[in-house]
Amino acid sequence: MTLTAFCVLGAVIAPGTALEERILPERALGGIEYHAGRGLRIGDTGLTVGGFATAEAEWLEAENAEAALEGVNFLLFFDPVPYVHLFAEIEAGGFASWESGGGVDSDPGMEVDRLFADASANDRLNVRFGKFLTPIGRWNLAPAEPLVWTTSEPLIVEHVFDETVSGAMLWGSSFPRGGTASYSLYGTFLDPIAPERQAPPAGHSAGAHLEWASLSGWTVGGSYFASEAHGEGAWNHLGGVDALWQPTARLELSAEALFGEGTREEGALWGLYAQAVIETLPTLYAVGRYERFDPPGEGRAIDLFDVGLAWVPVNYLRLKADYRFADHFDDELATPGFRASLSVLF
Amino acid sequence: MAARTFTLVLVLALLAPSFAEERPRLALIVHPARRAELSVEEVAQIYLRTRRFWEDGAPVVPLNLPSGTPLRGRFSKLVLRQTETRLADYWNRRYFYGVLPPATLASTEAIRRYVASDPNAIGYVPVSEVDGSVRVLLHLE
Repeated sequence: MTLTAFCVLGAVIAPGTALEERILPERALGGIEYHAGRGLRIGDTGLTVGGFATAEAEWLEAENAEAALEGVNFLLFFDPVPYVHLFAEIEAGGFASWESGGGVDSDPGMEVDRLFADASANDRLNVRFGKFLTPIGRWNLAPAEPLVWTTSEPLIVEHVFDETVSGAMLWGSSFPRGGTASYSLYGTFLDPIAPERQAPPAGHSAGAHLEWASLSGWTVGGSYFASEAHGEGAWNHLGGVDALWQPTARLELSAEALFGEGTREEGALWGLYAQAVIETLPTLYAVGRYERFDPPGEGRAIDLFDVGLAWVPVNYLRLKADYRFADHFDDELATPGFRASLSVLF
Repeated sequence: MAARTFTLVLVLALLAPSFAEERPRLALIVHPARRAELSVEEVAQIYLRTRRFWEDGAPVVPLNLPSGTPLRGRFSKLVLRQTETRLADYWNRRYFYGVLPPATLASTEAIRRYVASDPNAIGYVPVSEVDGSVRVLLHLE
């Protein structure tokens, strides 16, 4: 028992490669493996446990400086057989926050951010059931701090549609002409699983996302999303396009645009962002983003510019610092100011 | 004179070890029972885990060498056509959905032995290490 515990502890804290080389010749694809940023794989059980953690600080215009240990998100995945994939993301957050002029505050809690099961017939036909990220555009498909280049989200991702859907999705890929064409068709069929307290999700929704990815670095996509608030009867419709271009190993350009009516407020809206990331020195990236958002109703359209740096010394660690400018002050949509974060995948 | 020549040769040998590096041709191998034919692009999709099944519906088991090994770097350049940094970023995003990179084995011999024993596996080894226990799907150069 003690020996087993020691082995597990050793697997957690060791870099992994040496253990892998020791075990694999005797137990191919088996054994306990830990790789930083890729989780702890527990032998041949098909179970892997990993996650990420983030700490943030911000100094916004007309506000006090703040810093917070945002939380730890645990990723659990279980592949009991090749045709079934179970996944959960559980967030333990609110550990500690500090505000200048105030003290340290703590409001710890747990949330189920995602919880789904995938059943696969083949590459072209898979079914997902549970709570999953709404497949609109690019950003919302991987919105975690260690995966994005700025500390703040574009407004079209943050303010327009529900981040997650509780229901079912058909998804798959085919591979014409050396590229990958993917589709997602989804709808809300369940009561919300662990809904956000501040913004209740739509009562019913359905949507589709199509994407083409070439091996030469191009990805383009299109999204459609329809939603109905609880009991209102009227459906809102939202359309969008997105693109990613990686012309060289050191440059990444991406853009998204959304138009229609969102789930949060009534009325037409539109918005877009375009972002460039360039590796200026090895592991150091300069980031620039322009966005425009025209909110529903009487609100005034806003132009935002984000400029910053991201340092990625190893694949599982990301340190970001950026400043957000706005053409006018609107603290309900986006407050200008300096933000920084440190995030680690484990 | 001889001493200076020797010193020059020694310095050149130390400064430019890559000139002496061997760059063996790679063979992409599968189990002899696996009759599929794949293009380089299709192999890339398998190693990026976007293509997860063989045409007969069986799950593909792609095998890699450990990160940082020269042969793996060469394979990534020839097939995936991406740098290790770009690939790490790609796998970070896939990890967010619980999709892990291909399993790694410690040596090309281990890869060949595993492929010979599993009809769903695919791997790469130097051409000189291929024997009758596996079938060559592609030569990579």
